[in-house]
Amino acid sequence: MAALGAVSEGDRDALRLVYQMTSAKLFGICLRICGDRTSAEDVVQSVYLRVWDKAGQFDATRASPVTWLATIARNAAIDWKRSVAGRPIAAASLDEGKADQVADDAPRADVLLLASERNARLHHCINTLEVRTGACIRAAFFDGMTYAELAALEDVPLGTMKSWMRRGLLKLKECLGDG
Amino acid sequence: MDEPLTPEQDRDALAAELALGLLDGDARAEAQRLRLSDRGFAAQVAAWEARFAGLADDVAAVTPPKELWDGIAARLPAVERVVSLETRLNRWRMAALGSGALAAALALVLLTRPDAAPLPAAQAPELAVARIEGDSAATVVRARYDGSEGVMLLRIEGLTPGELAPELWVIPAGGAPVSLGQIAPSGTARLTMDADMRALVKDGATLAITLEPVSPVPHAAPSSAPIAAGKITII
Repeated sequence: MAALGAVSEGDRDALRLVYQMTSAKLFGICLRICGDRTSAEDVVQSVYLRVWDKAGQFDATRASPVTWLATIARNAAIDWKRSVAGRPIAAASLDEGKADQVADDAPRADVLLLASERNARLHHCINTLEVRTGACIRAAFFDGMTYAELAALEDVPLGTMKSWMRRGLLKLKECLGDG
Repeated sequence: MDEPLTPEQDRDALAAELALGLLDGDARAEAQRLRLSDRGFAAQVAAWEARFAGLADDVAAVTPPKELWDGIAARLPAVERVVSLETRLNRWRMAALGSGALAAALALVLLTRPDAAPLPAAQAPELAVARIEGDSAATVVRARYDGSEGVMLLRIEGLTPGELAPELWVIPAGGAPVSLGQIAPSGTARLTMDADMRALVKDGATLAITLEPVSPVPHAAPSSAPIAAGKITII
């Protein structure tokens, strides 16, 4: 069974390589959502442990590896955020600056390259929506805001918020033009 | 007034709501159930997740502290998980081959690992893996074959125990199924394969599971369609 041991080492090394190539991106995302380094570090650790368990579920026909990892990181950070009792629903959390206050390294060039095309298109399409709908999409993505919370924040009935968002989301998809 | 959404639009919007995390309480639980039970819906949710992931592109990368990896490594399980990991890495390799720049870089690194070098074609495979999946996402059997000992290790999840027993078949490309025997509906199994069987473990051959009447000896042929199947990959 010596081969098993060797492969096991190899697997671990492979996860490490994945970590080396993606951890700055995922840490950035977790930091942006969690707001503090200690929590972001905890979440990032849990993310790679989850990746270790879930890598078999990765489906290349649906997403690139980086997108898949970023989604796991975002969802884990949002889960963390929701589990923190008494989370403030603050308009201040809508602003963009949080992560920027923390010293950052330049993103890898290859990540930037991928990001810039997709990003430009997504921004363009979100900007074709009502300003409020776009802000709500961002608040849901980065702050884990639910319909109920968004409705309270915008001071509109729940049904109105749902109706705005559902139509906005379908319009967004149409604009992105990916089916 | 806006026209009401069509049922298709309604379902797609639900997928978006779940992906973005807008739902809570019962609505969220219901959508999660649908995601687990309906592959089409699960694909819609995944497509929305990929769309929204573009938002994360805005976020600057920040190098985590060096100790962070040590914390992860310390919590990784040891050798016991080897079976499923093999599959994972192959998934990574395949995935990376079909994707963007970073993916390609990952693929390059993974493919050039010295221990991942392909074996000469004439030689019997040392190591082979397969992931045998059913229609239900929960049914996953991971197989790992060690050619040096002719042993196939299986890790079985998500089969429902019943009157019929799961039976494992190897199907050579273009050939008839050959039974490797019956397996338990869950847990791990270790099959020692004789020389004839070993010769069937080849790249492109399929491992499949059917449900068969309980029998101490392997059946000559399957009596029904497979409930799960997957290709063998030589590594």
